[in-house]
Amino acid sequence: MAGCVIGIDIGSASSKGVVFCDQKILGSYVIPSGGNYKLTADKVREELLSRTGLSLRDIVYTVATGYSAKAVTFADDLRTDISCHSKGAFYCFPSARTVVDVGDLHSKVFRIDDKGGQLKFLLSGKCAGGSARVLKVIARVLQLKVEELGALSLKSRKRVDFNTGCAVFAESEAVGRIAEGVAKEDLLAGIHRALAAQLYSLAERVGIKEDFALVGGGARDAGLIKAMEEITNLDIFVPAEPHLTAALGAAIIAEEISNA
Amino acid sequence: MAEEKKKHKKRRTATEAAASIGPMVKEFISGTLRAKEEGRKVAFTFIVCLYDEILRAMDILPVWTENFAGICGAKRDAERFLERSESLGLSRSLCTYALCGIGFDQWREELGEMPPDAPWGGQVRPDMMLSSGQILCDPRNKWYQASQLYMPDVPVYNIDLPYPLYEDDVEFTDVRDYYVKHIIEELRGLVAFLEKQTGTKMDYDRLSETVDLGERTWNLIWETYDLRRAVPTPMGTGDAMNTMVPMCFMMGTQEAYDFFLGLNKELKEKVARKEGVVEDEKYRLLWGGGLPSWFALSDFNYFNSKGAVFPAETTYRMIESMYQIYMPDTNDPIERLAWRWFGYWVFWHNKARKRPGSHPDVEWLIQYIEDYKIDGIVMHEAFSCRTWHLGLIWQLNQLAKIYKPIPVLVLGKDGKKEKTNRELPSLVLESDIIDITTYSEVDTRNRIDAFIETLESVAKSKVH
Repeated sequence: MAGCVIGIDIGSASSKGVVFCDQKILGSYVIPSGGNYKLTADKVREELLSRTGLSLRDIVYTVATGYSAKAVTFADDLRTDISCHSKGAFYCFPSARTVVDVGDLHSKVFRIDDKGGQLKFLLSGKCAGGSARVLKVIARVLQLKVEELGALSLKSRKRVDFNTGCAVFAESEAVGRIAEGVAKEDLLAGIHRALAAQLYSLAERVGIKEDFALVGGGARDAGLIKAMEEITNLDIFVPAEPHLTAALGAAIIAEEISNA
Repeated sequence: MAEEKKKHKKRRTATEAAASIGPMVKEFISGTLRAKEEGRKVAFTFIVCLYDEILRAMDILPVWTENFAGICGAKRDAERFLERSESLGLSRSLCTYALCGIGFDQWREELGEMPPDAPWGGQVRPDMMLSSGQILCDPRNKWYQASQLYMPDVPVYNIDLPYPLYEDDVEFTDVRDYYVKHIIEELRGLVAFLEKQTGTKMDYDRLSETVDLGERTWNLIWETYDLRRAVPTPMGTGDAMNTMVPMCFMMGTQEAYDFFLGLNKELKEKVARKEGVVEDEKYRLLWGGGLPSWFALSDFNYFNSKGAVFPAETTYRMIESMYQIYMPDTNDPIERLAWRWFGYWVFWHNKARKRPGSHPDVEWLIQYIEDYKIDGIVMHEAFSCRTWHLGLIWQLNQLAKIYKPIPVLVLGKDGKKEKTNRELPSLVLESDIIDITTYSEVDTRNRIDAFIETLESVAKSKVH
């Protein structure tokens, strides 16, 4: 083994790190990004080393990504989260040709070819509609934890149809539906459907090709996965830890560079 | 907002000609204000409406309302006029050029003077408004009708300027004469209206000279922009968003002709010295459609900082070589204008018909990809400009289907290099023409970075 590499993704909501050795994940760590990204990045590296029993000397290359990648002052290289997500998704599912990343700030759609090369990408707009942020907004309205949304949504028997994908309007609409006495699970199923419809529309713009993978923090939500399956009529491939995909991709790029 | 305006720096240009545009625009806006004081006639006008030479020949000063809205946007001072239009009950999802202009005009009419700190002195009250039923853009028909609510005494004259929609199995020779006859009638109607408004008869000899000057300017622009094929390219799309001013707002004037003579000379000198937009030109990109975000033209400099240049654009390339446009033997300047209009719109139709699955807009991209040695395409979807921006992604998808892919070598599963194909990389930016609330610099530059990474990856693996 020539050495290990680190991929760090400093996202708008959470920061993720992956240690990668010989094309295998050795360890990972996730922490809320907080307000001081430099300290967060330092903490991620410290924890990764501690958890894997490695020392700084074992790390031959580090690639940082995410919206605050520049805060990772110890990184050897920076890459966009778009490139890293493509790389990470292809590593998890070599058959994936369409990848949707459901992030907190944006959602992104990529088309990749049979060699993992990125063909096209599109991002959701500046507003929170179409991103995982809408799930946080609704969790707050329903006084639930975000992690609880998926399981509850799956219990729905009478999904409510939302008229909007906008996070702000969705919040208003949700409040109205609660007042009407709509069950939480039906309301959640409606939100998941509305978000899935936006992601599907974004994916259609780049042209959907099977297999279809869902990654990013939002892909941990079982309700959203089910809604995506229903709306696309496809099997949706989701990695075991979808929120780590960009950090994993960064680590893969780091290994490619160090081996070059 | 004021602080934001102050902080916004002037964009660097590659050519001296582009740098001279700011004062030129400022002068023609001041010129309309002076003309009004002197009692000369001024008319609200839209670009690409064919009446440029007619107005110049009748000494009517055009006030390019889209240009004024663009200036407000570039100065990051459009928001207050957009908000005003919203308060009048107009939706933000309408054309933001129109909203900005209507908001400004309503404010000026309410005050009886220019709104405070009006950009570059403000938009003058017109004597007439010349709209167009050109189906390219619906606000051209509706904008001045809405403005008339606040200026009920100002007449609106609407001309119908059709252009033939593309059908791959329809030859235009059958219907061409009907189109041209209709356009001629529309233009003669416009002349009659202008004669009535000014109390002066059209001097057709002067119009002939103006049309002739316009045609010579078309040829000069075509020849000048063609110089950008050079590697490294001496001028990019960022500068072309400046040099569109004399092309779109001063056609039929000696100033426009002289401007392009100067630009032609400057570009030839740069080409001879092998002086490019950037020192190390890595990627040649095509701005393949969409109006720019006027408040974010510095994004072109950001591309440049990554070694990427734009030798060509389809936006504001409103001319073709007159040598390639069919023109019958006629000395009637109105007829010449009509034939030029028809010829410009159908120019790409015949080329598209020869390539199965193609379309004039796609054919335009293909021609520029080949002529300018293009490595990737960038487009901009501006949410409020439906007509221009609808279909851009369709064009990219169609291009991928019908145009030759790029052969590349990539590592296969067994660790050996395998040959495969990649589509020409493309990037779609999303924002607006002047509504800055739709724009995020961080997001936009993240997209640009990802696009550059894609270009880099394709360049590294390309089979030569």
